[in-house]
Amino acid sequence: MSAERDASLPNPTKWLLIGAVGLIISFIGMFVDPRMASFCYLIGMIFTTSITIGMLFLVMIHHIFDAYWSTVIRRQAENFLAALPWMAVLFIPLFLITYLYKQDTLWIWMDLDHELHGHGTVGTDPLYLKKTWWLSETFFWIRAVVCFLAWIYFARTFRRNSFSQDEDGSAEHTYSSRKHAAGGLIVVALTWSMAGFDWIMSLEYHWFSTMFGVWFFANSMRAALAVLVLVAAFLVAKGPLKGIFNTKHLHDLSTLCFAFTVFWAYISFSQYFLIWNGNIPEETFWYNFREEGMWYGVSMFLIFGHFLFPFLFMLQFPLKTKYPAMVFMACWILFMQLFDLIFNILPSLKVHGHTAQLFHQPLGFLWLAASVLGGIGVLLWAYWTSYYKVKIIPIRDPRIGECLNHNH
Amino acid sequence: MADKFGILAKFDTPADIMHAAEKVRDAGFKRWDVITPFPIHGMDGAMGLKRSWVPRFTIVGGTTGFITGMSMIFFTNAFDYKILIGGKPLFSPYFAFPVSYELTILFSAFASIIGMFILNKLPMHYHSALKTEKVAEMSDDKFFLYIESEDPQYDDVKTRSFIEGLHPVEVSDMEK
Repeated sequence: MSAERDASLPNPTKWLLIGAVGLIISFIGMFVDPRMASFCYLIGMIFTTSITIGMLFLVMIHHIFDAYWSTVIRRQAENFLAALPWMAVLFIPLFLITYLYKQDTLWIWMDLDHELHGHGTVGTDPLYLKKTWWLSETFFWIRAVVCFLAWIYFARTFRRNSFSQDEDGSAEHTYSSRKHAAGGLIVVALTWSMAGFDWIMSLEYHWFSTMFGVWFFANSMRAALAVLVLVAAFLVAKGPLKGIFNTKHLHDLSTLCFAFTVFWAYISFSQYFLIWNGNIPEETFWYNFREEGMWYGVSMFLIFGHFLFPFLFMLQFPLKTKYPAMVFMACWILFMQLFDLIFNILPSLKVHGHTAQLFHQPLGFLWLAASVLGGIGVLLWAYWTSYYKVKIIPIRDPRIGECLNHNH
Repeated sequence: MADKFGILAKFDTPADIMHAAEKVRDAGFKRWDVITPFPIHGMDGAMGLKRSWVPRFTIVGGTTGFITGMSMIFFTNAFDYKILIGGKPLFSPYFAFPVSYELTILFSAFASIIGMFILNKLPMHYHSALKTEKVAEMSDDKFFLYIESEDPQYDDVKTRSFIEGLHPVEVSDMEK
């Protein structure tokens, strides 16, 4: 039942090797410069996890709406879901470094004796004492495990349903997926927000924003859609999806990319605007750090590069239906998505009481590149391994006929 | 017969009219149209229609709306009658943004509707098709195609035989 291994398509093992090299370099980095390398590792790990979670959302949205146009590309999203357990494995080093090295490597509140710049330690900080019930170390790791278990459970269910349907063609699998999508959307939305609060927001535990989870969701959707456009374009160019995935499908996918561009801007702007308008120091300091030094330039780059340029680009119908244009846009969005994560994560790193710049040491670029490459390598390894095991499209899906004739 | 508006042909199924439209398109006629009771997918391509020009009106409207919002707030708050609220700057694109954004949408919508009216030459109070007794069938279960006598290629005899070659159910003249 498996697709023939085509010599023109990538070899999964090659990607695993690339990933391994990246991970090894970033682990070396943890010995050379533990804090910077750990932050870079966190960025790389969240970058790849956000792509897989975005894929999970896309599969669930497909099922809950009983959509038909996306049936042809859903299988590729399901292939990416194979990477979720490995994302959990990638999370383990973060746990290890806080245990084996120093508890305050990443999340400073984990160490009650961590010196706050100018006012005592975390353990005597009233703002921490009010939050101890949530920001307790054991509870933090339990939450991470619960999140990953929930995601892996849903990912496996959708994959199993879809692949079993290829075998027996039963509509039961579609019904099962639809029910799981209804529950899964709520569970994954909550756990993914929680992951955003825990992994990114609690880096600076004084700060809080209820919109942060939505920003995290918007970002992961943009990343997943960009990757899906790239994969579709690649498979069309190489042959497997040629004549199956047409420009109408591409147009729909691009339109979703466009929609989430606007959504991302809406959420990011609202978060900034409310804090700017409220003008309360306990909220504004977070953005103040992000205006220091080069971060001001980065934030301007995000506004124009992550919103305005993609917005004006994808506003145009002809560009949304052309592969070269959308491949360029998808690469651009992925690059900017990484920048957005850096902007949200890295300024939380304080070096001698000062906001870390991008980067204090030139080696920082190496740790970041290695971590991202490591994550991407593992992601694509899992993807291609899954790709060769299953059919290129869900051939017995009740909606596949409609989808292949998609013409408007 | 100079006072003739055109020639009208009746078809029974959407497939028939699609094929007929493709032939008329390939024959190079310019002033012709089809009248169907409901939208038929793929008819745009069969008629050789280009993409609509409405989006161009929309982008102009949207840009105007955005600039209007920004300059309106600048004019009222920071220029004409300066108001200092809560220590905020007199003008900032941040608080002007929600209003500009909504005016963008409002003006885009207006421009789209106006553009659609202009491009469709609306309001059109009279059209020759309304004069035929077949107007009831046009909005019920039959499909029509007509070629206007204003078309540069139009020739009373040749065009009529061309239309009959499309195998319509019925061919008739349209009065002006």
